[in-house]
Amino acid sequence: MPAQAKLLTILTEAVLEDDVVELIMAQGAEGYTISEARGRGAHGLRSGKWSAGANIRIEVVGDAELCARIAERLQSDYGRDYGLLMFTTPVEVQG
Amino acid sequence: MGGAMSFEPVVLFFVLGVCAGLLRSDLKIPGSIYEALSIFILLAIGLKGGVEMAKHAVGALLLDGLVIVLVGALIPLVAFPILRYLGRLSRADSASIAAHYGSVSVVTFSVGITLLGQELLEFEGYLIVFLVLLEIPALVIGVILARHGQGEVRWGKLLHEVFFGKSIYLLAGGLVIGYVAGPEGIQPLDRLFFDLFKGVLALFLLEMGLVAAMRIADLRTYGAFLAGFAVLMPLFSATLGTVTGWLLGLSVGGTFLLATLFASASYIAAPAAMRIAVPEANPALSIGASLGMTFPFNIFLGLPIYLWMARLMHASGG
Repeated sequence: MPAQAKLLTILTEAVLEDDVVELIMAQGAEGYTISEARGRGAHGLRSGKWSAGANIRIEVVGDAELCARIAERLQSDYGRDYGLLMFTTPVEVQG
Repeated sequence: MGGAMSFEPVVLFFVLGVCAGLLRSDLKIPGSIYEALSIFILLAIGLKGGVEMAKHAVGALLLDGLVIVLVGALIPLVAFPILRYLGRLSRADSASIAAHYGSVSVVTFSVGITLLGQELLEFEGYLIVFLVLLEIPALVIGVILARHGQGEVRWGKLLHEVFFGKSIYLLAGGLVIGYVAGPEGIQPLDRLFFDLFKGVLALFLLEMGLVAAMRIADLRTYGAFLAGFAVLMPLFSATLGTVTGWLLGLSVGGTFLLATLFASASYIAAPAAMRIAVPEANPALSIGASLGMTFPFNIFLGLPIYLWMARLMHASGG
């Protein structure tokens, strides 16, 4: 893995977990990390209770091109109907 | 006939939760505890149903079951045009809400069972099977109504969610285990699953109160139509259930439980399934109505009314 890489953070609805993970792996990512999340946004308060009200944060580390590809696919598949926020940050991979 | 109105004190825990939410108390039930409580309730209800089924012959159940599922499927079909044309909601929202009302609530049903226990009324245990069976036609009809031939439906994904989502999976699993084990086989588990049931239900209602408190504000935004629907629809469905139960020759307790099943609206299984199958529907509308209005209406006013209706039907109809 290159020392310089991008971290793609995806905040979305927990019901999408399986679909998003499948898409990430299909685009060629090496792996991902998922954590449970809650908060408030354009889709109202996401309390983290009940599966329909829960959010997840998915993190993927990879090159800029991979991150852009994943983000583009997610936006076109789920951006219209689901809560979806994505951003990238430059990271230096240590190990 | 007993007192005019029956009351089950366990619902006071729901009030305690709602007040904590509205008064901004720091009371929170951790997510993992909530998960554990819901697993307990689903398994306990499933086991109870399975044990009851093992006591009776199941053959006669088939025809009754078919009638109950067919009549139950009417509920979303009646709800949809009301929401769409009277309420002027979008097709997707109308279909999603119709599916929530056709689907059932395990907790409402559980409160119904504790109410029967308090009134010392027997019921046909196999009715618990319909907690599982009524879910499926409602969700499938909801999706068909939403799509109406337009757009693709991810049936595989939806059906997987319906059958292997934890509610149906645990209920059905409990039914099978209870049926196979029978009353004697399950006895060592009685203390955990049956004796503690009401206490766990109380804790679960406390949590539901906390969640409902957040939803009550949602509902205010969507106006009088949906609030009225959330009260009148369960009354209509309960009437349908009372008449069906009486025609099928169920006991007073069984008639009441069938009315309760028909009247209750889902807020756990249906939201997850509808979010996947009809993503353009606004979940705040359907959950706001089912959890913010219908659930509290049912446990406080609805259940005593349905019990009264069942007694009246049996008293006058013979």
